[in-house]
Amino acid sequence: MNRNLYTFFSFFILGVFLPELTNAQEKDKVWFDGAARSFFARDAVGETEFPDTTSSINSSSGYNLLDLNTHINPNENIEVFAQLRVRNTFGGFFGSGTSVDVRQLTAKGTINDKVRFSIGDLYLKQTRFTLFNNDEELSSQNQGMFQSYRDIIHYENFYTENRWRQQGLQTNFSFNFDRFIRTLEFDFFITRPRGSELITSSTNSSDMLLSGGSMVTQLNKRFNVQTHYVNLFEVGSSGTSNISVRNPVYQISLSHMLSLDRSKVTQTIQTGFSQRHWLYSELPNNLEDSIYHVTKGMFFEFENKYFENDSTFSFTVGYRYVDPAFRSAGAQTRRLDFGQEPLNSTYPLYTNASLPRPTSLFDIISDENIYNQDLSTTLMGFNPMYSNVLPYGDATPNRHGAYLSSNLQTSSKSLITNVKSGYFSEVIGQGTSERRTFFSLQSGLKCNVHQMAGWRKILSFSLSSDYENTQRSGDEYASLQLRSQQNNVLVNAEVTDDLFVQFGWKQFKTEGREYVSERNEFGEIVNFNLRDFDQKDHLVSTGILYQLRQNVYANLQYNWWGVATDDPTISDFNYTRLMFVLSIKL
Amino acid sequence: MNRHILLLLLFVACLYACTKDDFEGPALDSLFGDFSIVDSLVISTNAPDFTNDEEVTFYSKFTTVVDWKISIKGLSSNSIKELSGFSNTIDPDVVSWNGSTSQVPFFQLEDCAIELTFENYPDTLRESLTVLGTKIYDGIVVADFEDGLPEDAVFWKQAGGNMTFDTSNDDPLEGETYFKMGGKVGWDWVLGSLDIPLTNMSDVTTNPSNFYVNLGILSGINGAFADNQFINILISESNTPFDDNSSNNASDVFENDMEVYQYKIQPVDWLGWQLKTFSYDMFEEKNASNASVVYDRNPRDITAIRIQCQACPYNASSACPGNEFIDVRTDVDFVVFTENAGLLDQ
Repeated sequence: MNRNLYTFFSFFILGVFLPELTNAQEKDKVWFDGAARSFFARDAVGETEFPDTTSSINSSSGYNLLDLNTHINPNENIEVFAQLRVRNTFGGFFGSGTSVDVRQLTAKGTINDKVRFSIGDLYLKQTRFTLFNNDEELSSQNQGMFQSYRDIIHYENFYTENRWRQQGLQTNFSFNFDRFIRTLEFDFFITRPRGSELITSSTNSSDMLLSGGSMVTQLNKRFNVQTHYVNLFEVGSSGTSNISVRNPVYQISLSHMLSLDRSKVTQTIQTGFSQRHWLYSELPNNLEDSIYHVTKGMFFEFENKYFENDSTFSFTVGYRYVDPAFRSAGAQTRRLDFGQEPLNSTYPLYTNASLPRPTSLFDIISDENIYNQDLSTTLMGFNPMYSNVLPYGDATPNRHGAYLSSNLQTSSKSLITNVKSGYFSEVIGQGTSERRTFFSLQSGLKCNVHQMAGWRKILSFSLSSDYENTQRSGDEYASLQLRSQQNNVLVNAEVTDDLFVQFGWKQFKTEGREYVSERNEFGEIVNFNLRDFDQKDHLVSTGILYQLRQNVYANLQYNWWGVATDDPTISDFNYTRLMFVLSIKL
Repeated sequence: MNRHILLLLLFVACLYACTKDDFEGPALDSLFGDFSIVDSLVISTNAPDFTNDEEVTFYSKFTTVVDWKISIKGLSSNSIKELSGFSNTIDPDVVSWNGSTSQVPFFQLEDCAIELTFENYPDTLRESLTVLGTKIYDGIVVADFEDGLPEDAVFWKQAGGNMTFDTSNDDPLEGETYFKMGGKVGWDWVLGSLDIPLTNMSDVTTNPSNFYVNLGILSGINGAFADNQFINILISESNTPFDDNSSNNASDVFENDMEVYQYKIQPVDWLGWQLKTFSYDMFEEKNASNASVVYDRNPRDITAIRIQCQACPYNASSACPGNEFIDVRTDVDFVVFTENAGLLDQ
C-alpha cells in the first residue's frame, strides 16, 4: 500500500512540476545530499543457563546503504525532495540482496509568499498531549558510545525531534498585527496513517486518517495562547467492517513569559480533553448508527520554567493531572510494543526449546527492527520493568502529581549535571481501590576533564542513573512494590587527532512484583497478570571512534551483554558482538 | 498575583480530590484469592427437546475468577459439546446449550453426562440430562444421501482396485446413509469425484466471508490411512448446462475457462469422522491466470459443487510407496451450506 502511495505521489508531483523541472535543471537548481552507512555485526553465543545447541555459535550480518537525497527547486518557492535508497546486504551478489526503494518523497513550497504547504512525507508534532512521539525506554541519558546504535534506530524509524512521520498534506500560514495581538499562526494537516488493506478476498480494513490543526497567537511580549486539535479516525465506508474508531483531542494553553536581565521565567497552564468511541454503522440495515466503548477524559498541567540566558542553569517544576480515560492516540502511541511477541533481530530464539528470547537492555539500545512507526488507537503493551512511571510519556493516563527537572553546567562546560524527578499517583486504582504511587529520579553528571585541565585533546566521563519506584499498599493481593535502576558509566578519550578510545558500561536491575494489565481490542482492562521481577541486564562495551566531522564517523566496538534473572521461565543468557559502523551524513 | 496563585492551588487541590475510590478492571481478590464454590452447578432442565428450540442454561458461582469448562458428553453417540469461560459466575443468561456439538458425531436421543471443571483446580461438578429431541441445523442441505445421491448428481471413478464410490449405511455421520469415496489407484492422483448441481441458491443473502461450506469426512481403515490423501472441493458459478456433454467423464461446469473456485482439504489424515467448515472466501480461483474469466464470487450464483477424492499415486510417485498396500478412504456425509456461522457454531 505504501508503494502505491509513493507511486501516486510520484506521479502527482511529476505531473505538477515536470514543466518546471526542465527549466530547473537548465538553471542548475538541482542539488544533492544524503547519507551512507556501512554496518557489520558479528554476534556470538556466550554462557547460557540452559543449553542452546540449536543456535549457531556465531553469526555475522551487515549491509551497505546509500540514501541519495535529490532536491529540486524549480523556482525559489518550491522544492521537490526525493530520497532514493540503495541497500546491499553483505553476502548478496549479482543483484541478490540488493534493493532500491524510494524512501521519502515530499513537495513543499510557498504560495504567494504567504501560505506554506507540504505534500508527501511529513514529520508532525503538536504537544505532549495531542501529537508527540515519546522517547523510547532507557534513553533519557547521554548515550556516549552507544549513540551509534541510537542514531541508526532513529534514522531507520524516522524518529526526528519526537515527530511522527506521516504521509499527507500540511499547510500553515501566519498574520502579523500592529494592535491588540502581535501574531496569529495557523497550521493544518491531514494524513493517512493506514490505508485500506485486503484482509481476505472479500474483506477490507478501513482507511485510517489523522487530521489536526493548531492556532498559536502571541498576544503581546508576555502572553502566548495556543489551541490544538487532532483527530484519529477510520473511514468506515472505505472498508467492509461496519465498526470505525474516532479519537478527537482538544487542547488549549496559555503561557506567560517574563524576561529578566539574565534569565527568563515562563509559566504555562494547559488543559484539554479527549473522546474516543467506536461507531457502529447500521446503514445496510437502514438503522441509525450507534456508538459504543465511549471514553472521555481530560488533562491539566501547570508548569514553571526558569532559564538562565547563558544556559548554565535551568529549572522546571510543575503539576500534571491526566484522567484515567484520557486517550490520545497521537501522544500515547509507544515506540516499543511489549504487547507483541518479541521479535528481536539478534538470536530471536534461544535454548534447545527454541523459546522466544525476551527483549533486553541490549535489544532496546541496538535493534532498530523492534520499533514501531504506526499510530495505535488503543494503549499498547509496556513492560513495567523498563518503564512503569510514565510508559506513555507525559500523556500517560491515570496519573497526577508533581515533577521537576534541572540542568546545571559551568560556563566552560567542564561540568554538566542534570536532574529530573517526578512523584505521581494513580487517579483510580486498578483491580483495587488502593492506588499506586510512582517515584522517578534521573540524574546525570558529565565531566569534561580536558576543559578543567586545559588539554587540547578530549577526555570526558559520564555517570548517570535512572531510578523508578512503584508502590501500592493494601491487602496481600493489592500490595506491591517494583524498583528498577539503570546505571551508566561512559568514558571518552581522544588519543590522537579525532581518534577516540571509548568505554561504556550499562547495568539495569529490577526487583519486585507488579500486575501487568491485559486489555481487550477496545482498550478495556480484562485481566491482570502477576509478575515477579528479579533481573539484571548488563552491557559492557569498548571500542574506538574516528570522528572526521560531526556527522561523519567510523566506530568499532565490542559488546558483552546479557541477562541474569530469577524467573524460572526465562533462561539467563549472555552474548557478545563485534560491531563496525561507518556513517556519513551530508 | 497572590490571588491568582491561590486560585491555581485551589484548582490543583480540586484535581487532587478527583481521585476515585472505584477501580478499573476486575477485582484483584476475585482473580487471585482462594478458590471455592459458592453455588453448585444448576441446569435449567434435565429433559431438553432441542427440536423445539429448547435450550439448557447453566448456573454456578465461585469465589474467584477462573477458567472453567462445561463438557457435555452423549453416552450413546460419544458426541461432545464444550462450553468455556473466564469468570466467577456462570451466567444462565449467557451460557446455554442448544443441542449443537463441538465434535461430531451429532447428539442423538440419549442420556448425557455433564461435567464442570476448573483449570488449575481439581474440583469437578457433575450433572446429567436426557435429550428428548435433537437439534435441527439451519442451512441448505446439499447432500445427506438419505435417499441415495442428490437429484441429477453424477459421479465418476477410475478403474482402480477396491473402488467404492457408492452410498453405504454401515457408519454414517448423520442419518442412516453416507457416500463412500475411496479405492486404490497407482497411476493418477484423482480417484474419482461426485458432482452435484445446485438450483436453490437464490435465497442466499450473505457475502462469501459469511457463507460456509460444511461437510463430514470419514477417513481411516483398520487404524491407518493412505499417505497424502485429500479432498478437493470445486464450486462453480458457471451457467453452462450441468451435464450436456456425454463425452465428459462428469459434469461440464468445472472447466478451466469457467468461473470455478477450489479448496483442498489436504491431507485427510485422521481416523473416524470429522466435520470441516470453510468460508467461501477461503476458496481460490481455479484458473486465475485466465483473463477471460470474470471472478466475481457470489454465493447466490453457485450452480454446482464437486467433491473430488485424490491421493498420492504409488506407481507415479516415489513419495508414497506405502499406498500400494492401503486403500484411500475419504468418505463424505452431510454436505451443508450455512450462512453467518459454520454448522458447529450454530
